[in-house]
Amino acid sequence: MPRRRDEDDLDPEEEEEEEDEELDDEDDGGYGKKRRRSDFIDDAAVEDDDDEDEEDEDEDFEDHRGGGRKRRKAGAEFFDDIAAVDNDEEEEEEAEEDDFIVDGGADLPDDEDVRRMHHRPLPTEDDQEEDYEALERSIQARYARSSHTEYDEEATDVEQQALLPSVKDPKLWMVKCAIGHEREAAVCLMQKYIDKGSELQIRSAIALDHLKNYIYVEADKEAHVKEACKGLRNIYSQKVMLVPIKEMTDVLSVESKAVDLSRDTWVRMKIGTYKGDLAKVVDVDNVRQRVTVKLIPRIDLQAIANKLDGREVVKKKAFVPPPRFMNIEEAREMHIRVERRRDQVTGDYFENIDGMMFKDGFLYKTVSMKSISSQNIQPTFDELEKFRKPGEDGDGDTSSLSSLFANRKKGHFMKGDQVIVVKGDLKNLMGWVEKVEEENVHIRPNTKEPSMKGLPKTLAVHERELCKYFNAGDHVKVVSGAQEGATGMVVKVEGHVLYIVSDTTKEDIRVFADNVVESSEVTAGVTKIGDYELHDLVQLDNLSFGVIIRVESEAFQVLKGIPERPEVVLVKLREIKSKIEKKAFTHDRSKHPVSVKDVVKIVEGPCKGKQGPVEHICRGILFIYDRHHLEHAGYICAKAQSCVVVGGSRGSGDRNGDHLSRFPGLRASPNVAQPPRRPPRGPPIDFGGRHRGGRGHDSLVGSTIKIRLGPFKGYRGRVVDAKGGSVRIELESQMKVVTVKRDQISDAVAVATPFRESSRYGMGSETPMHPSRTPLHPYMTPMRDPGATPIHDGMRTPMRDRAWNPYAPMSPARDNWEDGNPASWGTSPQYQPGSPPRRPYEAPTPGSGWTNTPGGNYSEAGTPRESSPAYASAPSPYLPSTPGGQPMTPSSASYLPGTPGGQPMTPGSGGLDIMSPAIGGEGEGLWFLPDVLVNVRKLGEDAAIAVVHEVLPDGSCKVALGSTGNGEIITALPNEMEMVVPRKSDKIKIMSGAQRGATGKLIGIDGTDGIVKVDDTLDVKILDMVNLAKLARA
Amino acid sequence: MFFHIVLERNMQLHPRHFGPNLRDKLVAKLMKDVEGTCSGRHGFVVAITGVDSIGKGLIRDGTGFVTFPVKYQCVVFRPFKGEILEAVVTMVNKMGFFAEAGPVQIFVSNHLIPDDMEFQSGDMPNYTTSDGSVKIQKDSEVRLKIIGTRVDATEIFCIGTIKDDFLGVINDPGASA
Repeated sequence: MPRRRDEDDLDPEEEEEEEDEELDDEDDGGYGKKRRRSDFIDDAAVEDDDDEDEEDEDEDFEDHRGGGRKRRKAGAEFFDDIAAVDNDEEEEEEAEEDDFIVDGGADLPDDEDVRRMHHRPLPTEDDQEEDYEALERSIQARYARSSHTEYDEEATDVEQQALLPSVKDPKLWMVKCAIGHEREAAVCLMQKYIDKGSELQIRSAIALDHLKNYIYVEADKEAHVKEACKGLRNIYSQKVMLVPIKEMTDVLSVESKAVDLSRDTWVRMKIGTYKGDLAKVVDVDNVRQRVTVKLIPRIDLQAIANKLDGREVVKKKAFVPPPRFMNIEEAREMHIRVERRRDQVTGDYFENIDGMMFKDGFLYKTVSMKSISSQNIQPTFDELEKFRKPGEDGDGDTSSLSSLFANRKKGHFMKGDQVIVVKGDLKNLMGWVEKVEEENVHIRPNTKEPSMKGLPKTLAVHERELCKYFNAGDHVKVVSGAQEGATGMVVKVEGHVLYIVSDTTKEDIRVFADNVVESSEVTAGVTKIGDYELHDLVQLDNLSFGVIIRVESEAFQVLKGIPERPEVVLVKLREIKSKIEKKAFTHDRSKHPVSVKDVVKIVEGPCKGKQGPVEHICRGILFIYDRHHLEHAGYICAKAQSCVVVGGSRGSGDRNGDHLSRFPGLRASPNVAQPPRRPPRGPPIDFGGRHRGGRGHDSLVGSTIKIRLGPFKGYRGRVVDAKGGSVRIELESQMKVVTVKRDQISDAVAVATPFRESSRYGMGSETPMHPSRTPLHPYMTPMRDPGATPIHDGMRTPMRDRAWNPYAPMSPARDNWEDGNPASWGTSPQYQPGSPPRRPYEAPTPGSGWTNTPGGNYSEAGTPRESSPAYASAPSPYLPSTPGGQPMTPSSASYLPGTPGGQPMTPGSGGLDIMSPAIGGEGEGLWFLPDVLVNVRKLGEDAAIAVVHEVLPDGSCKVALGSTGNGEIITALPNEMEMVVPRKSDKIKIMSGAQRGATGKLIGIDGTDGIVKVDDTLDVKILDMVNLAKLARA
Repeated sequence: MFFHIVLERNMQLHPRHFGPNLRDKLVAKLMKDVEGTCSGRHGFVVAITGVDSIGKGLIRDGTGFVTFPVKYQCVVFRPFKGEILEAVVTMVNKMGFFAEAGPVQIFVSNHLIPDDMEFQSGDMPNYTTSDGSVKIQKDSEVRLKIIGTRVDATEIFCIGTIKDDFLGVINDPGASA
């Protein structure tokens, strides 16, 4: 840093004096690191001391100066000699210094200051040696010229501009230092400068009170700063930041915001036990920078009692007693000494307990102004309510308002607003805003009132003296506060508090009149915070979940998913774990499937009788929206088990059409009719659009495919959407959806590789259960794949997605069959009709849905297995689907047991023929044929072999028990019977197709195909095993 | 308040209705379209009492629909602030009660129910005076004063009060039963 001594004619002493002041200050005020410039006066410094104490030992009412002094000592030694040197000049200097700050006002002096410092010469060793008198003279000379002349006159804008730092001036650098040691760091730099003098090429060091952790150093080069900071413990000079020239002036601008603290304003405590608590200012001591505030005590009487009794006091910082009014009686009971003292100043009596003053249950506490924040205090209703002790009347209102007013936004009053004067001579005068000029509002008084006759047309009233006024019946919108955004109608006006009936929730809201505006808008207020929106189902932190029923400014009200009683919790955004978006479904009391949007009626529990559409389903809990239910935004939480579905299921029909299960027969029928038209071996794509005449591409949707090319080569996934030349695929292995070109996928995957997603439903490895479980699938599928259903997406070929979806879960079975000896599966115990695992599935489902279609599709259930009740109940979805998938891969035939429609594969002849029964089956209504062996499983009984004697028109059969048919004759419903799967060389009967009814002999089994020699024609045919039923031995 | 006013509306008619009964069809459609609707300006259209004039139809390009300007007389019901109405209570809860006066729903907040009436929860929630002489419950008939209205596209919602002289229950089927 070049020394500018030559070009600067200012007295070299200046720097020193500055220092001296600082040092002196240190001496007086101890560790006055947070002090302002204006504090440089002695008494202020003393005050500061108190402040410090207050901050450090907030809970302590008494001043502990001792500690402060001690610390001060340490600092004082450090500066002693210099302070002594300059002491005599002190007085004068201070006066001057002080003057210039006061006179200068806001920014200007600081700029000047900065400027002045720029030109300050750097003292040298000899300077210090200089004669004091010379010093004095020079100082006087300087001030006579610079400060007094310059500052007294008004500097023009241009002059001021000229003073601003430019590129030529030294730069300001921001240097990190130990937190809380900013001043110390700056002083250390100064000291170093004094010691080293010219070696140090920095110009100045500044510590700002409001800026923690940093000091500013003025220097030309960064290197100079680093050099200067070297070796100083408090300064971390690794990172030195340059302050942009534009911002340099801001660094030293004086915060001109005088804190306007007056009595009765609301403030918040910044530190200590009461941190964040609302307090009311009762007294302000501007000189001592202290305020007395009224607080709701947070006092642990027991702790005080212990302390006073001399028992050990456990200092537990973690525990903050809840705010509670002090009960003096209680304290006395605990043998705490309560002194009643009279305050000298106010003459009020205070109860004094352990150094704390109480009055009317409130704690009166004197704190430093720094330890309270008075800006933007928005007391909530609860807080104000607490403060309003019985006996305190409306006055509390106005006082609370006074601080509320301070937080008004700009443009608070608008022309036409109805207002009331709340302060001054014109108190309670009502009128309308005519014009707003800065802080003055021109109002047109309500001249209708006779008493107001004499008033002029408009009155100018200060903004602070006005409050908005509303009448009952006004429609308003809340524009600030916790309820911001809500609209409603005013039902009651109580002082400055309005009771509003919210438009949406029909609930009462209490707001300050000042926070609302008249509006005809109807909104619910804020409906979204972050990702969560009103009425979303969310997962809360602690494994519970619920529906957001109200969104407040920073929190949500969530109705938890507890059916016993409505429990509403207030949660913050971060307390919500995630949104639950998965489409769930469940069963109602009578085992009917319930999905979202279905209308249900609650038949038991606290909300019995309520009815409404299901909005969310989660873990068997339904959230029902009943618009007549006024609590909890109309939401009711109920167990699915205590509800019944009313009317049809909307969910199944209009939304996604995803619930084939709901009306299996219905849905299936069009598809059943499809197969014959279909070329037996065509690729699946060919079928595209058959169903509804849509485009073939969409037939892909819902199917499982494998990606052949591209970055996702080899991945398998489910097609969620197909558009033009690209398809979107939900990858199996990764939780994401990717877009792939259509020609990069191979769609034979579902057949070639088992689709294992099914394991999610617990089916994956449970092969034995398969046959009987299948009926469940249709229910499952829609859930898994809501978008894939044909109803919704008419473009798609039904067989396609049927082929993929329903089977998908089943596919694991294939492995099994492939692995095992296919020929033996008839005997394998797993498939044995009536094997225990099936029962559970059969039992719960008799009523649900398949009774709709008894006639439906039984005929194709030629194989004994097929006749299993499970199949009988929901054959339709499967039936048409298979052909779509199978032609591609013969190997898939192995899973035929589950897929009656697989015949198209049959090589050779009768592809078409064999398929037809599937269609015929629909109309015929007969599917069991006489003499067929069946397993009869009545509810609650063991399975028994029986022989069908007669098929009744309604689908049920008269069967004779016993494998030869000589037992008791009973009537069995179709779903209680299951055909016995024939084994090789068994006599069979063909159950479907053109040759239905024909008998033959099973001469071989090939996967799911049976090789049958038909008795009549002696033809050898390959038929699907499911279409074959074992004949009873005649 | 009910008004008998003349309103105008442009009716679009499908060409299939053209024929000797065109006018009837038009009126029938008008009734179907208009009766029961609500507008902020006029309130609920309760009934059409007559058709004054049907203007010349204008064929819409492209659709073949014909637009007729129709002037019709109708009875409208519009609640006003300060109006006294008689209404039937439909629901009672702790926040107040809802009542209906024809198509208009009126909410009476508990702040606007006389202070001596208290909410009694239970099977049949109601507001009852301390001596039990007056009871407001579902199906009670009350006379109330409207203090505020809110007009939506499809409904008019009012806030009412019974905290005034001569307001309150006028007939209580629950009490007499």
